[in-house]
Amino acid sequence: MAIDEFLDNLPPMDLMRSEKMTLVQLIIPVESAHRAISYLGELGLVQFRDLNADKSPFQRTFVNQVKRCAEMSRKLRFFKDQISKAGLLSSARPAMQPDIELEELEIQLADHEHELNEMNSNSENLRQSYNELLEFKMVLQEASGFLVSHDNHTVSEERELDENVYSNNSYVETASLLEQDMMRPGRPDQSGLRFVSGIICKSKVLRFERMLFRATRGNMLFNQALADEQIMDPLSTEMVEKVVFVVFFSGEQARTKILKICEAFGANCYPVPEDVTKQRQITREVSLRLADLETTLDAGIRHRNKALTSLSFHLAKWMNMVRREKAVYDTLNMLNFDVTKKCLLGEGWCPIFAKTKVQEALQRATFDSSSQVGIIFHVMDAIESPPTYFRANHFTSPFQEIVDAYGVARYQEANPAVYTVITFPFLFAVMFGDWGHGICLLLGALVLIARESKLSSQKLGSFMEMLFGGRYVLLLMSLFSIYCGLIYNEFFSVPFHIFGGSAYKCRDATCSDAHSVGLVKFRDPYPFGVDPSWRGSRSELPFLNSLKMKMSILLGVAQMNLGIIISYFNARFFASSIDIRYQFVPQIIFLNSLFGYLSLLIIIKWCTGSQADLYHVMIYMFLSPTDALGENQLFWGQRPLQIILLVLALIAVPWMLFPKPFILKKLHTERFQGRSYGILNTSEMDLEVEPDSARSQYHEEFNFSEVFVHQMIHSIEFVLGAVSNTASYLRLWALSLAHSELSTVFYEKVLLLAWGYDNFAVKLIGLAVFAFATAFILLMMETLSAFLHALRLHWVEFQNKFYHGDGYKFKPFSFASLTEDED
Amino acid sequence: MAFVVTTLIFGVVGIIASLLVRICFSGGPSANLLHFTLVVTAVVCSWMMWAIVYLAQMKPLIVPILSEGE
Repeated sequence: MAIDEFLDNLPPMDLMRSEKMTLVQLIIPVESAHRAISYLGELGLVQFRDLNADKSPFQRTFVNQVKRCAEMSRKLRFFKDQISKAGLLSSARPAMQPDIELEELEIQLADHEHELNEMNSNSENLRQSYNELLEFKMVLQEASGFLVSHDNHTVSEERELDENVYSNNSYVETASLLEQDMMRPGRPDQSGLRFVSGIICKSKVLRFERMLFRATRGNMLFNQALADEQIMDPLSTEMVEKVVFVVFFSGEQARTKILKICEAFGANCYPVPEDVTKQRQITREVSLRLADLETTLDAGIRHRNKALTSLSFHLAKWMNMVRREKAVYDTLNMLNFDVTKKCLLGEGWCPIFAKTKVQEALQRATFDSSSQVGIIFHVMDAIESPPTYFRANHFTSPFQEIVDAYGVARYQEANPAVYTVITFPFLFAVMFGDWGHGICLLLGALVLIARESKLSSQKLGSFMEMLFGGRYVLLLMSLFSIYCGLIYNEFFSVPFHIFGGSAYKCRDATCSDAHSVGLVKFRDPYPFGVDPSWRGSRSELPFLNSLKMKMSILLGVAQMNLGIIISYFNARFFASSIDIRYQFVPQIIFLNSLFGYLSLLIIIKWCTGSQADLYHVMIYMFLSPTDALGENQLFWGQRPLQIILLVLALIAVPWMLFPKPFILKKLHTERFQGRSYGILNTSEMDLEVEPDSARSQYHEEFNFSEVFVHQMIHSIEFVLGAVSNTASYLRLWALSLAHSELSTVFYEKVLLLAWGYDNFAVKLIGLAVFAFATAFILLMMETLSAFLHALRLHWVEFQNKFYHGDGYKFKPFSFASLTEDED
Repeated sequence: MAFVVTTLIFGVVGIIASLLVRICFSGGPSANLLHFTLVVTAVVCSWMMWAIVYLAQMKPLIVPILSEGE
């Protein structure tokens, strides 16, 4: 047929079907292996198959090298950590030094790490001593205050002790000790009233005091004072508040108890001399030592920062190198080490167009590593299905990602992304239609595109990254929104008379019945879009609802028909005439005899202005097809046509259900018993492309019941789906109505209301509220909502007519994709 | 009449757009076919939208009834 010839002579469309892939086998001699894989990684067009999938990571050949790389990357991460902790900026100086080999890098890294660790531990020690001295100084300062008043208060303290003793008569021990002490009243300092001074965290002070009280049975005096400065806690590297305390007690046992409690609570005790001069002397010494330590510490930190800065220059480059090497060794681990032949065997997928490039890269590797034996590269027959590879440019790739998010296309089946590029923004716009909002989206998209080069090199947050990745989607969405906005005649819900005057006018000069009977149409319809007279009228909603619902049905039936036609092209490509005759034809007949007919009725009703009730027509077409139509007659011959269409639809259902499983069974038996030549011409699958050969190898069985049930499910899904999917397209109406109503509310009830007042402040506030509401609710929320629903319409209603989506994506071994993965 | 004229205008715009795209973004024959498909899809979608809204207003069953405010 002429059409068939024409279609066959067309060049294959870019992006329509996956690139042709081939399974290749590489035999690489060991000396050029590392270089070959590196060059292939730079090329990024080969996906290696893991031939050692059953081995654990520790059983593989190059496990040591991988471990070394992992160790090196750990060191590099440690450096990065230290640099960020020290608060230095890591700047990459352009590579002034020549590239270094991996072994050298390893040694250098080990050296640097050792040095850094030493410096860190030294600083640790210094800081600890510094802290201790600082605490000692604080204890000296505060405790001296207590001890000065100690002399004056000794007598009163003794009296307190007396009281305590007499109240605790049961505690004989303590009492006897204290009685002994009291025997020597004349020497208050030697009366056994000793003290322990120290410093403790403020948070523990209360418990500490209580514990001491309990342990010494109340025979102690606890004085505390908040320290002046905060001290850095070495463990948590935070500044904590500390409290200086002095505990007065008597007796040796009390002393041991107190010291143990101090230790348990982590309080540090420092001896404070009672003599005031001695105190002053020690304080001076401590201050001097503190100053010394400070300078030493500072010098140490500066030295370390210098070392870290010099590291930071090379850090990015080194990390890159290590990452690449690890990837190369991981890939080498996937190859089989053929010990007897001293070479590595590898298998991988590669697109046919890239074969020459790969061979070139392998030749370069052989030459560069001065190996005597060349690398063998040859094509193998594939048993399993190849991965799917679409070469999308940066305009089409976000749309391809949208399609892939639902399911990656099966190898060589039609790619819905080709149509999604246009229909997705279009359906979005049908739900979003407002050219004012469309212009806002357009500005946003243009900003993102204009700063493309700058933003693509930056690291963006996850939300900004998604937004930036979808900038072309946003651009198309905004352009279509402007178009649909012009058609719906809404500019922030305000209609304009851009395309001429309205088609409606008052019936007479006084416009007296404009509010009761309405205007009258006196000339041709408004040339482009919805007539501006409708906005604000009482019959606006009935008119627009009717328009938008019918529009949704028409668009939906069109898109679903497109889906079924794509399934025809799929069947044609895979030379499966069964699918054409027993799936495509009945599906087209079923859908169009019911919903295609409905679309036809809609158009006829619009063209003739008939008052027929389409609900009635459709329902009674099923309930009583032979009845007379009466006033629902739209054209001559409608009743017999409806009967014919009904019969066609009824035949189509068993047509798509029964023949295919029986024919498949017949084909299967004929293929494997007798080899009749005639049947093989209409073989169901293309043996080269589809894994039928695999099936013939491991799937001798033809499970008829399984195939039949599968076909039944498919048919029922289609038949029920025809109704539900068509109804699902009504969301186009629903969302556009919601958008229009929200927009109207914000305009009339916020902006116009505020603008009506004379007060300038009220106008400004009204404008601000209108702007915020538009930006957040209409521009952000409605955009996301319309985006989501347009997505659903594509994923479910459009794609379930033809898309299988059970393939897997081509993930070549490529250095370029590494940098995005890790870190 | 106006319907047919505007449909022809859409057709002409489509032809011009595909020529422009062929001139500005020309790639190999497979890429050109993709661009052509995209332009045709866009023109068909736009035309359908316009045609639906135009047809719906040709012989309307209801007319605008102004509300009290106007």
